[in-house]
Amino acid sequence: MSTMLQSFSAELADAVESAGRSVVAITARRRIPSSGVHWRPGVVVATNHTIRRDDNITVTLPDGTTVAASLAGRDAGTDLAILKLGDHPALPTPTLRSDSGPKVGEVVLALGRPGPHLTASWGVVSGVSGPWRTWQGAEIDALLRVDLAIYDGFSGGPLIDPGARVLGINTSAFGRGVPVTIPVPTVERVVTELLERGAIRRGYLGIGTHPVRVPTSLTRKLELSAEVALLVVGVEPDGPADRAGVLLGDVLLEFDGAALRDPADILAKLGGDRVGRPVAVRVIRGGQVKTLQVTPGERPASRAA
Amino acid sequence: MTGEPVAADLAHALAAVVDEVRRVTVQVRTQAATVGAGVLWGRGLVITNAHVIRGDRAHVTLSDGETARARIVAHDPRRDLAALEFEPWRDRPLAAVRTSPPLRAGELVLAIGHPGGLVNAATLGIIHGAESGLERRPARWIRADVRLAPGFSGGPLADATGRLIGINAMMQGGLALAIPAAVVTAWLRRAHALVEA
Repeated sequence: MSTMLQSFSAELADAVESAGRSVVAITARRRIPSSGVHWRPGVVVATNHTIRRDDNITVTLPDGTTVAASLAGRDAGTDLAILKLGDHPALPTPTLRSDSGPKVGEVVLALGRPGPHLTASWGVVSGVSGPWRTWQGAEIDALLRVDLAIYDGFSGGPLIDPGARVLGINTSAFGRGVPVTIPVPTVERVVTELLERGAIRRGYLGIGTHPVRVPTSLTRKLELSAEVALLVVGVEPDGPADRAGVLLGDVLLEFDGAALRDPADILAKLGGDRVGRPVAVRVIRGGQVKTLQVTPGERPASRAA
Repeated sequence: MTGEPVAADLAHALAAVVDEVRRVTVQVRTQAATVGAGVLWGRGLVITNAHVIRGDRAHVTLSDGETARARIVAHDPRRDLAALEFEPWRDRPLAAVRTSPPLRAGELVLAIGHPGGLVNAATLGIIHGAESGLERRPARWIRADVRLAPGFSGGPLADATGRLIGINAMMQGGLALAIPAAVVTAWLRRAHALVEA
């Protein structure tokens, strides 16, 4: 009986050791180093909020050697950043689990390297949401909430299963210290895009909206199916919406044929591929339905919609 | 995942190991407000934390319910260790100390203690960080991802086979810190030598 517990214990330690071979310590802030994962040959994934400077970054490998690294891109929206290693002699990359997503209740381990030594904490996956958007409009394929304690080195380290397969990158930056894991598909997408362009492109309209109930008299008169739409409460001067003639007080019904019920619905439609391509937006203005052609611009850093 | 269902067997195996470690866990009562824990280390010898001991008298209650008055034979606040001796001694299982192999990060560990008057409570966790072997000196603390409450102090931290790896001493930054068994052994050799002389 006790051999079974021993095997389980040894499997956990094996998983930590094996996945830990690609976990590095990053010196890019004062005091304690932060963690990162050698995700692709020569490329380390880290969390954006722990990379506090753009230059003079070093990475300490599991064998204790320290190499120079350069920041290749960062994305505040997903809290991910990538570094390129100057030199990485035979540093392994971890096995990514992409065939099946994590399930609630799965036993998981969080690894970190807040210095020369690897650290591990354990817990279970406590929640798996569907596609989720951060307030900066970044799309996260499925937000993993994990029930485990956050220690130094948590952010930027990998969440792994007991088979040493990586489920994502951990961060404490979303939601008041609640531990969260950015899943593998999102990390892959962001890494690819950051390597190609150095930044994540997102569409941008330059408006603020608020959901409002459309009066039944109006829905009946205009033969609308929508009960809720978005009232424009702010228009950025000379922003894409302003240039297309969107006015304060317009009520947005549809964006590219899709109904709008929540400000997040607009964000959901503003992927990087929208930039520069005109889109039809249906609005209620002065008791009439109008269609405007709006061309989303590229969102400057740290702007919402 | 594939293979035979193992969760129920794991749960049973865990309960069996917890029982084993409970047998070598004692309650330590002094003038302190709370009950501390201790480990039955040798024949009539209990190891606990120095901070568990208040005053110069102590009582230990063994896992079979027997209570005995104990002498404080060594008290070292700097290392947070204390040794107590009690009589009479009946044959009982003693803590089995793990001397090898070295601890690995991720290994299962369990702690037994008496939080808030709950006797022999168990908590499960893993080794948080293990030394890489690059250091010359042995580590001063074992760091474990396991939630301890007051009342666990002085009690055992054991591995998946029930072998003793450390004496639980405190929580720091959400981590449990335990004094490695090797440190206790070395300390006991010195402390006891002083007592014998």
